[in-house]
Amino acid sequence: MNRRSFFVMFLCLVIPISLLVGKTIELQFWTHEDPNRTVIENRYIEEFQKMYPDVVIKRVTQSSTKIQELVLTAFAANQGPDIFNMSIEDEYAYIVNQRVASVNYEAAGYENKEALINAYLPGTLDPVVFEGEIYGLPLEITNWCILLNKKVFKDAGLDPEKDYPKTWEEMVEVSEKLTIREGQIITRRGFDFRYPYYLVAFIPMVEQLGGKLISDDGKTAIVNDEAWLKFLDFMAAWGPNGLNLGSPTYKNARSLFNMDNNDIGMCTTGLYQLARIKADNPAFYDSREWMVVPFPQFENAVNYVPAHYYGHYYMVNVQKPKENQEMAWKFIAFMLSHPEEYLDKVAIIQPTNELLESDTFKNYPYSDVFISDLEKSTVVYFSEYSAKIQSLVKEAVESVMLSNASSRDALNALRRKVQEVLDDQY
Amino acid sequence: MRRILKKGIEHKKARWGWFFVLPSMAFFAVFSFYPIVNALYTSLFRKRLLSLRPPTFIGLENYEYLLKSPDFWNSIKATFIFTLGTFIPILVFSLLLAAFIMSRKRFQKFFQMAFYSPAVLSSVVAAAIWLLILDPRGLANMGANFLLGTKGVDYKWLASANMVRFSTILVYFWKYIGYFTIIYITGLASIPQSLHEAAKIDGASGWKDFWHITIPLLKPTTVLVSIMSMLQCLKTFSTQYLFTQSGAPLEPINVITLNIYNTAIRDHNIGRASAMSIILFIIMLFFTWLQFKASRSGGEVDYM
Repeated sequence: MNRRSFFVMFLCLVIPISLLVGKTIELQFWTHEDPNRTVIENRYIEEFQKMYPDVVIKRVTQSSTKIQELVLTAFAANQGPDIFNMSIEDEYAYIVNQRVASVNYEAAGYENKEALINAYLPGTLDPVVFEGEIYGLPLEITNWCILLNKKVFKDAGLDPEKDYPKTWEEMVEVSEKLTIREGQIITRRGFDFRYPYYLVAFIPMVEQLGGKLISDDGKTAIVNDEAWLKFLDFMAAWGPNGLNLGSPTYKNARSLFNMDNNDIGMCTTGLYQLARIKADNPAFYDSREWMVVPFPQFENAVNYVPAHYYGHYYMVNVQKPKENQEMAWKFIAFMLSHPEEYLDKVAIIQPTNELLESDTFKNYPYSDVFISDLEKSTVVYFSEYSAKIQSLVKEAVESVMLSNASSRDALNALRRKVQEVLDDQY
Repeated sequence: MRRILKKGIEHKKARWGWFFVLPSMAFFAVFSFYPIVNALYTSLFRKRLLSLRPPTFIGLENYEYLLKSPDFWNSIKATFIFTLGTFIPILVFSLLLAAFIMSRKRFQKFFQMAFYSPAVLSSVVAAAIWLLILDPRGLANMGANFLLGTKGVDYKWLASANMVRFSTILVYFWKYIGYFTIIYITGLASIPQSLHEAAKIDGASGWKDFWHITIPLLKPTTVLVSIMSMLQCLKTFSTQYLFTQSGAPLEPINVITLNIYNTAIRDHNIGRASAMSIILFIIMLFFTWLQFKASRSGGEVDYM
């Protein structure tokens, strides 16, 4: 072997080895903004990088209303992040379009699929099961109840412990007492809805009355017109052209609640709100002048339906190299191995059996109210088209609340549009 | 010999011309022409944003669907209401403001800056500022109640169908009036002073001078402003987008661009969204041609 051949052979061997040895795995991790989560997850990243020095994790936060389109456009250009999470209504399309990888059980620290299923509360992994495989691990399962400001109740001469609304009809009565107006302009709302989230908090109201958004076979839009009309009439009466108790054009009630500025009495929210009150307004949190009550029902409800629960699941981009995917699952599992800290610092529930049976969970303020509703709740409607269907329900509700459309016309338009979406799928 | 020489110089000049134009041609080809051709091609397919499967060729089905869709016709209506409601007032008031500013002996620069300043704001920031103003507890209700002598009336700036249309027009008018005023000021400044002086000597009043000399000689500027403002209005998006995100009803302000965005991003239907954008492109092309044609009917303007 001459010197030149030896040199070529040497290069052929050394270069790939040095590339392999020095190779760093960079994981892009996109998630929604949550200051409380950012603190603990940045620490998890540091710890994980110490455990795996060849891994670099870049955590990027986006606003919770913008992340959907950023992730979507990134995936459309085949440039999606390694790890991301959104609500299941937005994530499901990624599963059916095979853009995310199924869970690598071994990397996630489970012996097999059954071991993973057994670790979680029954049913909570169902939304991410597709063709027998599991495509995500839950960061949180959230259901909404009613958060109430006791000071506002007392100011209106009400006893929050006794007078809190148990039915939607009582919600109207109590809100009338709590609302303060200057002419037609509301300066303090008794309660207001979370308007963009129609599938989570409005569809249950229809279901309480016996209606459904889509038939059980998934082929017919709008079941039980009577229930829908009653719901739409209720919303029309709530709005500015009716009893003027609230409107989608006012600042959203949940954001105002933490400030305790005497401008909102009640709002719909999840357990995570408690950690946010603690962070935004510790004095109000410590005063305990707030409480949580169950999601109201209609007086003549035919079904007991609390707000639907939704989940945020960590998912992994299937277009990334195998080693990235494996490391991504390891990192996700590492983060999710701290469910008690997530509950304590962020007030989000990771539905592992271990956490739900722990004292940390049982002793958490109002966890009993949330878990009691969660046990009776079902998962939010999710499909590849749930974002569109949600916006169609929004359009119908807003047309009766703001544009004086009749409930019948709004319902007919909603039926036509949702049916068109369903027909497009088959 | 001289002809050959002249041709050679012109040829050289033309070569330099191509050289200078080339960067902008390349820019146009990559960022404008290619997307148009690509959108035209995509509009003939059933294509989902997230799907990795190859798109299905469906010919003109997307266009057929759109022409039968009441939602698309509602978008056409919303776009035309907005365009007419915005570009006509912009055209009239920017001319009046320009004439007003030019007639000032002092503070001309101050007025120009004051009117132009909203144009430098991004549309998103402008809409965000106006959202605060139009909030039921915001300045708009306070101001309207003060001016109209009412008390506690909610004018529903973002809630009722007509008011939300008016609000989007108001935001756009506020944002762009200064920009078009500056263009008119440039047009007014280019009219030779000797023409005004001659008219004055002939005994023309200020109004007659404005009506018979200024307005006709401003025709090229008016054509430019009307085409530019109309195209801006047809492309409007961020104000409507932010308003609907903040609870305003969608239907009255669901302009074509917003419908394109929702069809592509919310519904993942990129084929249908592309078809809509091609229709919008054709509408814009048609009205630009129409305005050019109308402007040529009165003959060319010559200051000499």
